[in-house]
Amino acid sequence: MARPVLAVRHLSVDFRTLRGRVHALRDVSLEVPPNKIVGVLGESGCGKSTLINAVTGLLANNAEITRGEVIFEQADLAKLSERELLKVRGEKISMVFQDPMTAQNPVISVGRQMTDTLYRHRKLSAGEKRKLATGMFRKVGISDPEERMDQFPHEFSGGMRQRISIAMALMMNPDLFIADEPTTALDVTMEAQFIHLLRELQADIGCAVLFISHNLGLIAELCDEVVVMYAGEVVEKGPLAEIFFNPCHHYTRRLIECDPSRVLDRSAVLPTIPGRLPNLTRLPAGCIFRSRCGHAIAECATKSPPLLAVSETHSVACFNHASLIERPAGGRAPRLKSNASENPVLEVDGVHVRYPTGGLIRRLLRPDAPRHMDAVIDVGLKVAEGQTFGLAGESGSGKSSLGRAIMGLTPAKDGSIRFKGDEIRGLPPREFKRYRRAMAMMFQDPVASLSPRQKVRRLVMEPFEIHGADGRDLNREAENLFQMVGLSREFFDRYAHELSGGQARRVGVARALALRPALIIADEPTAGLDVSVQGEILNLLRELQRELGLTYIVISHNLPVLRHVSDRVGIMYLGRIVEQGPTDRIFSRPAHPYTRALLDGIPRPDPSMRRKLESIEGEIPSITNRPPGCEFHPRCPIASDLCRAVPPAATELNQDHVVHCHNPLQGA
Amino acid sequence: MTDRFEPAGESAFSEDRKPAATLRMVLRTPQGVIGVTIVAVFLLSALFAPAIAPYDPFQINIPDRLQAPSLNHLLGTDQLGRDTFSRILYGGRIAVQLAGIAVGLSLAIGLVLGMIAGYGPRWFDNLMLLLFDTIRSFPTIVMAMAVVSLTGPSLEMVMAIFVINAVPGFGRIARTQTLALRNTEFILAEHSLGASTALILRRHIMPNVVGPLLILAAMDVPVVITVEAGLSFLGLGVLPPTPSWGSLLNEGFRILRDTPWPVIAGGLPLIITTLGFTFLGESLRDVFDPKLRKEP
Repeated sequence: MARPVLAVRHLSVDFRTLRGRVHALRDVSLEVPPNKIVGVLGESGCGKSTLINAVTGLLANNAEITRGEVIFEQADLAKLSERELLKVRGEKISMVFQDPMTAQNPVISVGRQMTDTLYRHRKLSAGEKRKLATGMFRKVGISDPEERMDQFPHEFSGGMRQRISIAMALMMNPDLFIADEPTTALDVTMEAQFIHLLRELQADIGCAVLFISHNLGLIAELCDEVVVMYAGEVVEKGPLAEIFFNPCHHYTRRLIECDPSRVLDRSAVLPTIPGRLPNLTRLPAGCIFRSRCGHAIAECATKSPPLLAVSETHSVACFNHASLIERPAGGRAPRLKSNASENPVLEVDGVHVRYPTGGLIRRLLRPDAPRHMDAVIDVGLKVAEGQTFGLAGESGSGKSSLGRAIMGLTPAKDGSIRFKGDEIRGLPPREFKRYRRAMAMMFQDPVASLSPRQKVRRLVMEPFEIHGADGRDLNREAENLFQMVGLSREFFDRYAHELSGGQARRVGVARALALRPALIIADEPTAGLDVSVQGEILNLLRELQRELGLTYIVISHNLPVLRHVSDRVGIMYLGRIVEQGPTDRIFSRPAHPYTRALLDGIPRPDPSMRRKLESIEGEIPSITNRPPGCEFHPRCPIASDLCRAVPPAATELNQDHVVHCHNPLQGA
Repeated sequence: MTDRFEPAGESAFSEDRKPAATLRMVLRTPQGVIGVTIVAVFLLSALFAPAIAPYDPFQINIPDRLQAPSLNHLLGTDQLGRDTFSRILYGGRIAVQLAGIAVGLSLAIGLVLGMIAGYGPRWFDNLMLLLFDTIRSFPTIVMAMAVVSLTGPSLEMVMAIFVINAVPGFGRIARTQTLALRNTEFILAEHSLGASTALILRRHIMPNVVGPLLILAAMDVPVVITVEAGLSFLGLGVLPPTPSWGSLLNEGFRILRDTPWPVIAGGLPLIITTLGFTFLGESLRDVFDPKLRKEP
C-alpha cells in the first residue's frame, strides 16, 4: 500500500477543565491513504471534532496532546510551531466547516476571499488569480462566475455557500481535504447535490479526503474506508463494505441498526442503544462501551480492548466480537398496533399564513415592493383520532408556520381550522385558552425550548398552574408524568442545560402530555438528537399514542423518520401541500416529481445502493419571488409549457391520495 | 455536531449561575477578591457602626478639636472635636442606605419598564425609549442642582434624582435582553401552553434579565455615593450635623488650612468603596458574560 497522506498514531488529547481533565481522545490511530475518502463516523461527544482540530493544530488553549503523533508529509504536525503550521494549513490541508452561513467573512466579496487564499503563492498576477478563482467557481457549479465573484456571501444561499467553501478549499490543490459535517445545515436535495459534487471533485483533483459525519447514509454514499469512534476511541476501522456488511463491534452494529431508514416495517419498534456516554473525566476500567454493550464478558471489565485484526484491513477493539460474525437469529421486534379511528380531531381547510415584510419606511421608499409574504397557501388536511399526520418539506416550506397557525401562535389569514368540530381560527386569546388544554406543541430544539432558569419539576408542573390543577396533587402528577416518559426522579431538581438532548426531549414530552391533550404537534421531534437516542424518542411517542389515544402532527424534514411514525404524509413545497396521502403509498409510489426527488435524496446506509446521479437540480426559490404556474416547474425534470403557465389544481388519485401536478408520475 | 468538550468547562460553568457558583467564580481573580473584601468590610462596618465606633459621632468636644490621628482618635477630630473615625463609620451607614434604596428602586423600576417595553406593544416601547433618551441627555449633577435649588436640600431629594437618572440605564438593558428573549423557542413554548403575559414575564423572562442588571447595580453603587458626596459637598445634599462622607469633605474643606486630616479621612473611604464596587461589578460581568473576558 502506498504511504498514507495522513497518519495519526496513538494520539491522546486531554482538556483541562474546572471539573478535571477530560480525556477526549485516547490512543487514536488512523491513516488516510492517497486518493481515498476516509469517513470518521460517530455520535456527538465521540471526539470527531477534537480529532480534526488536533490534526489541523486548532485545538483550544486548554487542550494538551499527551501522547502520539500526527504524521503529514513526514513531519509531526503536533510538534510544529504555529508559523510552520501556517504553511500547511489551508495549502496542503484544507477544510470545509459545518455551517456555511458563518464560514465566510460577510464583508468581503467571495471572489476576493477566493483569491486571498492564494496570497502566499506563486508569482501570480491579480488577473491570473481571478481566472483561477472563476475556473474553480465553474467547477463547483456556480453559474455566471464572472459576475457572482463580486457578490458578497449573503447574496448566496446556504447550498451555494457550501459550494464556495469547497471551491476555496480546493483552490490550492491540497493533499488532504477535511470536511467536518459539511451537510448538516443543508436540505436533503442540497445535500445530495453537495455529496455528488464532492465525489466528482475528489476524483478530478485526486486528493485524500477525511470526511467527518454522524450520518451513516452519507458515509455509505461517499467513503472508501470508515473509522468508527466512540467516546474518544477508535472502536472499529476497515473498508466501507466490511464495516457495513460485517460490522464487528457491537457499537457499530447497533448504530447501523438504529438508522430509521433501515427499519422498513412501520409497526416495528425502533432499535436503540440504551445508556449514555461515560464521563470522560473519570474513565471506567475496561472497555469504554461495556456499560451499554450487552455482550460483555469478564475480560471486558478489567482490560481495555486493543484493536484486533479481523482481516488484513479490518480491525476492531472488542474481546467478544467473534460472536458477532454469526448473527443471532433474533426474534421479530415487538410490534405496535395503531388504533386510529375515523373521527377527525383536526380539520384544516384553505388556510393561509401571511407575514408582513418591512415597516413604514420601507413602504415609503419602495411603494411597489410586496408588503407581505405568504408562508402557507391554501392548505387543507384532516387528521383522524389516534392517527399521525406527517408534514415533510425542506426548510422554508412553511411546515412550522402551519403548525404554529394551528396552535394559534401565528394568525391564519383565512380558511378554517376546526378542532373536534369547533372553529378555532381567529379566536381571541381568552377563548383560545380553552383549547390549549387539548392541544400541545413540542418545539424543535429540545434544550432551548425549556425555560433555562427553571427547575425541571417546575417546568412539568407549569401546565397545571396555568390551567388550574382541579385539586390534584401536583407533585404526584409530575411523578406520574416522569414515569410515563421514562425519566427517574433524580432529574426533578435539574435545569435544562444539565440535561442531555434526549432527556430534555423527554421533559418536553412530559410537559406536552401534562393536561392529557388530544392533539400533539411535534415540530422536528428528533432534531439535534443522535441516531441511538432518536429511536428512543420515536418509540416513546408511539407507545404513548397507543396508550392514550393521542393524535399527532409530526413536522420533519427527515423522511425516514416520518415514514416510520406517520399514517398519512403531506409534502410541502413553498407553502403548499403538493402531495398528500397514506404513508405507504407516498413512499412506494410518489406522484409528484418533488416527492420523488426528496425520496431519492435520502442517503441510504447501504454501500450497495449508491446513487448514480444527483436527485434534483436547482434550489428552492424565495417565497417572496414565486415562479408563475406550477411553482416547482423550474426544478422539475418533466415540466411542460402548461406547467410554466397554469398552477395545477388538486388531482385525486385513488385512496385519497391527492397531488397538485399536471403530469403525475406513472405508476402512482 | 460540535464536540462537547470543545468549549472546555468554562462555558459549562457560566451556564451554572447559582449564587454560590457565581461567588466562587468571582473569587477566582485577584480583582474579584479585592472587590468582595472591600464591599464586605464596607457593609459590615456600616451595619455594626454603633458597636465599632469609639465615640458618639455627634458628641462635640471643643478641647479636643482639630487633632491629628492618634491612638485616642484614630483619624483625628474636626473643628468641633468630634471623632472623625466615628463620623466616617456613621457616614458609611448613610451611604449604604442611600445606595441600597436608590439603586434598588432604580433597578426595580428599570426592570419593569424595560421588560414591558421589550415585550409589550410597539408604541409603549417607543415612548419608553423617548423618555429614557430625554432623561439621559441631562447631566446628573446639573439637574440635581437645579432641582435641589427649587426644593431645598434633603437626602430624599438626592435619592429621587439619582433614581430618575439611573432608571434609563437599567431600563435599556432590561429592554434589550427582553427583546432578545422574546422570540426564543422556550417563550413560544410557554405561549403554546397558554401562559399569560404576566407569568411569562415574571417567571421566564425576569430571571434571565436580572443578571446583567445586577452587574450594573454593583457598578452604580459608587455612582450614588459620589453623587451624594458631591451634592453634600456643595451643600445641596445631606444637611449637618448628619455625618455623610460628602458633608465630611465639605466641612474638612473649610478648615483645610488648619488640618488636612478631615479631608483625607473623608476622601479615603470614598475612593476605596468606589474601587471595591467597581472591581466587584467588573468581575461579575466577567463571570456572567464570558465573551467579554480576556483569555487568561
